[in-house]
Amino acid sequence: MQRLTRLARLMATAFSLQYAVEETQRHSEELTEAKSVVEQSNIELQQFAYIASHDLQTPLRGVAGFAQILQRDYQGQLDEEAVEHIGRIVAGCERMQALISDLLTYSRVESRSRPFEAVDLNEVFDDVVAILGSSIKDSGGEVTRGELPTVMGDRAQYSQLLQNLIGNGLTYHDDEPPRVYVSAENGDGEWTVAVRDNGIGIGTKHHERIFEIFRRLHTQDEYPGTGIGLAICRRIVQRHGGRIWLESKKGKGSTFYFTIPERGGEQQES
Amino acid sequence: MKVMDVNGRPADILLVEDNNDDVVLTREAFKGSKLKVNLHHVKNGEECMAFLRKEREYSDAPTPDLILLDLNMPVMDGREVLAELVKDDALKHLPVVILTTSDSEQDVLNMYKLRCSAYTTKPVNFDKFEHIIQGIADFWFTVVVRPPNDH
Ligand SMILES: [Mg+2]
Repeated sequence: MQRLTRLARLMATAFSLQYAVEETQRHSEELTEAKSVVEQSNIELQQFAYIASHDLQTPLRGVAGFAQILQRDYQGQLDEEAVEHIGRIVAGCERMQALISDLLTYSRVESRSRPFEAVDLNEVFDDVVAILGSSIKDSGGEVTRGELPTVMGDRAQYSQLLQNLIGNGLTYHDDEPPRVYVSAENGDGEWTVAVRDNGIGIGTKHHERIFEIFRRLHTQDEYPGTGIGLAICRRIVQRHGGRIWLESKKGKGSTFYFTIPERGGEQQES
Repeated sequence: MKVMDVNGRPADILLVEDNNDDVVLTREAFKGSKLKVNLHHVKNGEECMAFLRKEREYSDAPTPDLILLDLNMPVMDGREVLAELVKDDALKHLPVVILTTSDSEQDVLNMYKLRCSAYTTKPVNFDKFEHIIQGIADFWFTVVVRPPNDH
């Protein structure tokens, strides 16, 4: 009797084990399938964004081009109001152009990526400061850094990441000239890079959503922007296996943090 | 103002472009250059090949000194044109400058593999576009030695 009970129990265990194994197999098949569906839809999304951006540029070039020709060659023949209207067309085209170009960048974070290499972030920082030269000068601001590490990754994308974060620090400020400071700390097998500014700050309730695409907290008149920059940052950080977040209070400046795994070199599928 | 030419005649440039706005903008951009230009226009790759082979209504067409080739066009696109040109002994010496909206790395690489003479993109900003057109005119008609062309 005891034997029989044991046998029954064993059989039940074996049964459930087999069930569990099958279940796991099924799950992993489903996962693989889900993953390839996600990959497929990512590819389609990238293609869509690319084609949309490409095909949007052609008519835009027409509108912008002819408005610019009117502005330049017909100034004297038009009254003040007409000149002002043309100015608005040109400005609108420039905004549209910025949107398209950011959308392209966003769609290319995965499709136009390079293999990882050792990247000296001090060099990347210097390049970015040179690229942002005129906006630093125009804002009367100052961008400085502490000692930054050499990490594995995609150089062009680190440059894009720092450019967006520092650029935000230069844009979102009050009367006080912007100060942006970039530093890095090591711990728990990862580097944490901090980009600190003295700008207008961001209320806590927006801290999550601000990384979503097209999420903006200000109108174009207050602060210009496309609402894509931080979404690009998040995609780049995710591709490098890190996290991105911010600490900020309204009126007290913001610090954006992102992590880079120290072992590095592992490209994340997304 | 127009001080550059080709042995006393205007430069013959063939623009292969499907979009009429881009054609007008390209003409406008050439106005600011020092080069005397006869800008010929065809609207797709098929017309381009007929023009170059002097077929149909193009029997009197001049052999262009330079071809400005768009990539995305209906009927026959710029990629197909370039692929056909390199196979044609009578035409493969002609300088071809790609002038397109596409900055896809795939396109850039493939067009250079087909030995295009240069790859340029059309910016939205007209001042920049003018700068590019004038740069092409300056480079191809004052700096380089082009293949002989007695029309
Ligand atoms: Mg076209």
